[in-house]
Amino acid sequence: MKKTITYALLTLCAVIMIYPMLWLVGASFKSNDEIFSTIWFLPESFDFSIYKRAWETVTDYSMGHYFVNTFAVIIPKTLFAVTSSVLTAYGFARFDFPLKKLFYALFMGTMFMPAIVTIMPMYLMWSRLGVLDTYIPLTIPALFAAEGSFVFMLIQFFRGVPREFDEAARIDGCNSMQILVHILVPCIHPVIVSICVFTFLWTMNDFLTPLIMISSVEKYPLSLILRLSADSTGNGYEQCKILAMSVIGLIPSIAVFGLAQKKFLSGITAGGLSG
Amino acid sequence: MKKKYRNPIGVKKYTGLLLIMPFLAGFLLFTVYPFVSSFILGMTDYNGIGNPRITGADNYIYMLTDSGFLKAAGVTLKYTAVLVPLKLIFSLMTALVLNMQIRGMGVYRTIFFIPSILGSNLAVVIMWQFLFTSDGLANQLLEAIGLSPVSWYGDTAAAMGIIILLRLWEFGSTMIIFLNALRDIPKEYYEAAKVDGCGQIMGFFSITLPLLKNVIFLNLVLQVIAAMQEFSAPYMVTGGGPLKSTYTLGMLIYDEMFSYHNMGYANALSWVMFVLIALVVGVMMKLTGRWREDV
Amino acid sequence: MKKYILLTAAAGCLISLSACRGKTSQVTAPDGTLDKCTLRFSWWGGDDRHQATLEAVELWNLQHPDITVVPEYGGWDGWTEKVTAQLSGGTEADIMQINYDWLISFSQDGKGFYDLSLLEERIDLSQFDSEILQFGKVNGILNGITVSVSGRGLFYNADTYKEIGAEYPETWTELLELGEKFSKKGKYPLDLDVQSGGTAWYLAVVYVQQQTGRQFITLDGELGFTEADIKAALDFYKSLEDNHIIRTVNTRTDEDGTAALYQSPEFISGRIGGVLEWGSSVGKYEISLTDGVLESGPMLSDDSGNNSGWMIKPSLLYTISANTKYPDEAAEFMNFMLNDGEAAKLLGTTRGIPASSAAQKSLEENGLLTGLAQENDTLLETLDTVTISPYMELAQMKEYYNSAIEMISYNTVTTEDAAREMYGSIKDYLERIRK
Repeated sequence: MKKTITYALLTLCAVIMIYPMLWLVGASFKSNDEIFSTIWFLPESFDFSIYKRAWETVTDYSMGHYFVNTFAVIIPKTLFAVTSSVLTAYGFARFDFPLKKLFYALFMGTMFMPAIVTIMPMYLMWSRLGVLDTYIPLTIPALFAAEGSFVFMLIQFFRGVPREFDEAARIDGCNSMQILVHILVPCIHPVIVSICVFTFLWTMNDFLTPLIMISSVEKYPLSLILRLSADSTGNGYEQCKILAMSVIGLIPSIAVFGLAQKKFLSGITAGGLSG
Repeated sequence: MKKKYRNPIGVKKYTGLLLIMPFLAGFLLFTVYPFVSSFILGMTDYNGIGNPRITGADNYIYMLTDSGFLKAAGVTLKYTAVLVPLKLIFSLMTALVLNMQIRGMGVYRTIFFIPSILGSNLAVVIMWQFLFTSDGLANQLLEAIGLSPVSWYGDTAAAMGIIILLRLWEFGSTMIIFLNALRDIPKEYYEAAKVDGCGQIMGFFSITLPLLKNVIFLNLVLQVIAAMQEFSAPYMVTGGGPLKSTYTLGMLIYDEMFSYHNMGYANALSWVMFVLIALVVGVMMKLTGRWREDV
Repeated sequence: MKKYILLTAAAGCLISLSACRGKTSQVTAPDGTLDKCTLRFSWWGGDDRHQATLEAVELWNLQHPDITVVPEYGGWDGWTEKVTAQLSGGTEADIMQINYDWLISFSQDGKGFYDLSLLEERIDLSQFDSEILQFGKVNGILNGITVSVSGRGLFYNADTYKEIGAEYPETWTELLELGEKFSKKGKYPLDLDVQSGGTAWYLAVVYVQQQTGRQFITLDGELGFTEADIKAALDFYKSLEDNHIIRTVNTRTDEDGTAALYQSPEFISGRIGGVLEWGSSVGKYEISLTDGVLESGPMLSDDSGNNSGWMIKPSLLYTISANTKYPDEAAEFMNFMLNDGEAAKLLGTTRGIPASSAAQKSLEENGLLTGLAQENDTLLETLDTVTISPYMELAQMKEYYNSAIEMISYNTVTTEDAAREMYGSIKDYLERIRK
């Protein structure tokens, strides 16, 4: 009985969470006036040719090409972000060193500045280095722990792993790097998976940075292609095609999350989080 | 006087420094220059093209009398103060539920995360309109239970409310961080507590919460920063209206920078935002004693 | 350590100051020959414009194997930001599609874009009215060529008006009288938004311009209205609300959220009977309604038949980058886009009714000049129109109009106070940016 109530409540909430997604899929089959007239998700009729047209895009390439572009950014960026964030967080969480207080304050400070302020100076800098219109401006910053929130997150989780673990390993002859790889990372691996997922999703949705840094249409990541056809200043456009494209664009994100969420399963007693 | 570094035996004092090299190098390469140039631009009158004119502290002095800025700062603080606690509570509650081990939980977890994947998708904006316009679903429900309808978009307080609702609905990443932490709490703790005659609610307050204090603090800081920099939710849902009641500091900076081409003023505003966030986070770290523990 | 920090800071200052100085590179003078090169051409738009322009570019590339044009295009979202970054870094495309007010934001002294008068041999300027050419001049320097001219016109939902039994108004008085009939059915004859378009203020300006003969803001950025004129405009707006011609800002926001009118169920269902829109972008309203329901209405006049004061503007312009290495070639391509008959046929009216007479002729011969945009264009040609100042279109100015109108609509200020504040801010702002 209790189980039934749990499921009923969960399902009710799930409907609230997923409804816009359902509506989005339905709306991709609707005409402009039908889209804005009803909250009901089922369209009057289904015409799957819209997905064919959406996939083809107005450019010389299909959406497949832009998926490849996006992954060419996401894969290195994720690797870079995880590696650099883990190292930096490890340093801050487990070691004492000269000027640590100052560096920690500087690190916190980087998270406080609104990102749009740095966009223009970064643009000018990349322009001087002659790497605009490449994926370097989109990926290389990740190599340098550019996402402060990841480092901050890892620091908190590292602190949750008892220091006794490190000491025991050190007595067994492990050096600092081995302790990180063999002890700490396994303890918090779901957090690392979360960071990969966040990087993936945020990069999928990132719009302004690629828009400004990339000028060749053939190098556009998917996020730019999804907004390529929307022109509120002009003569109107087929809303359903834009929605169909965004449905296609959401599939990898949902798939990646669906796969990753298994890692968040409960029950492994690796360590407490008592600070 | 030689400083003692509290490191394990055999660890050199530069090991830590070496490990944070990615951050340090990145700071020198990608942070110093934008920060310094933004600080200098903050003391100029600059339209983005041509030569900036040095005006000293004029931008900051003007800010004190700029009712637009003062209002936006107030809106931002109010928004942060309401949203962050609600979001933490809501995310933690949901994480507790989604941490239960029952069949099919993976599907529910994925579904509960979908709002965060949608982000600023057009579907979300349209959905909010269907929900909160005058004859939308929310008002129909209110009327069905005998309450009077609310002017969601048109009323200043309600407009803030629907933005907060949007951000509450997109609670996925906060929830994931809680889930990560919950998974680490050994079940034995609860079993032991049960033996001691401790109920579920008491178990939550005496075991879960204390064990989660690191993560609660983590989410608190991340959410405060995100809320104080808020831009896209009000931009999408209300456009900052009505009467600027949802016009945040983030939107003001964006408009000054890209719509009005007041680069100088936009940069000065950004530094004020920086200081505001630093103050709020600093006070939180001080109050919780984190600063001492973290470094 | 402090020394290092100071040193780094000083170095940073130097780099950043040199970056702020922006482009100082020399302008390449035309050399009179067409060389082998690659040109970048950038525009924003929707699918129809992309499709048509890509076809035209392809045609050019076929005809000119030596001068390859590479298209750079995207949606409207963020395009200003992109171009802002490019112009401040000197990395913009060789040929650009720009908005009217960008002439002011990006080229206050007329030097932000290439001086096209140097390229007269390449671009056939004789296809354009001298008045239309004036639009592209900043500080006396020809910066851009108008692609199309557009005016705002009134468009009505024929079904709604038929149902109410009302005629399209011809005078302001008739417009104000419509409220009674419409309110009985809970409908509205017109809608004016206070969002990015600044439509509400626009109509109020037309009303006052017609009465006074004064231009709100002159072409070179002087405020032409007096404080009393601004108050009259705000009062007129208020009377539209009071007479049930348009919804109050509060009602409008309640019913539509921030949705644009063409995406509003109230408009789609016919409860809102009319819209004031640029002839060049009325297509999106037509798509939302079923075919042929939207009709172009008369431009309103006063009771004595004076119908002056309505405004036109260049809806888009083409410019050449001041940093281009190939001015001759860029101009040649620009001429192709503006005046070539074949290109015009491919481009159709995806950028509005072309201003070039050669392009217009080509469209006419091919039967492509039809629809509401054309009707509106013809209507405006019979009027004594005023050319909008690019200064009137600046985002900051629209912010002044919209917030004033929002405040008087919510009754948080009187029209006197709103007019005083608006007059002051506009005057200050215009002075500041024209410095």
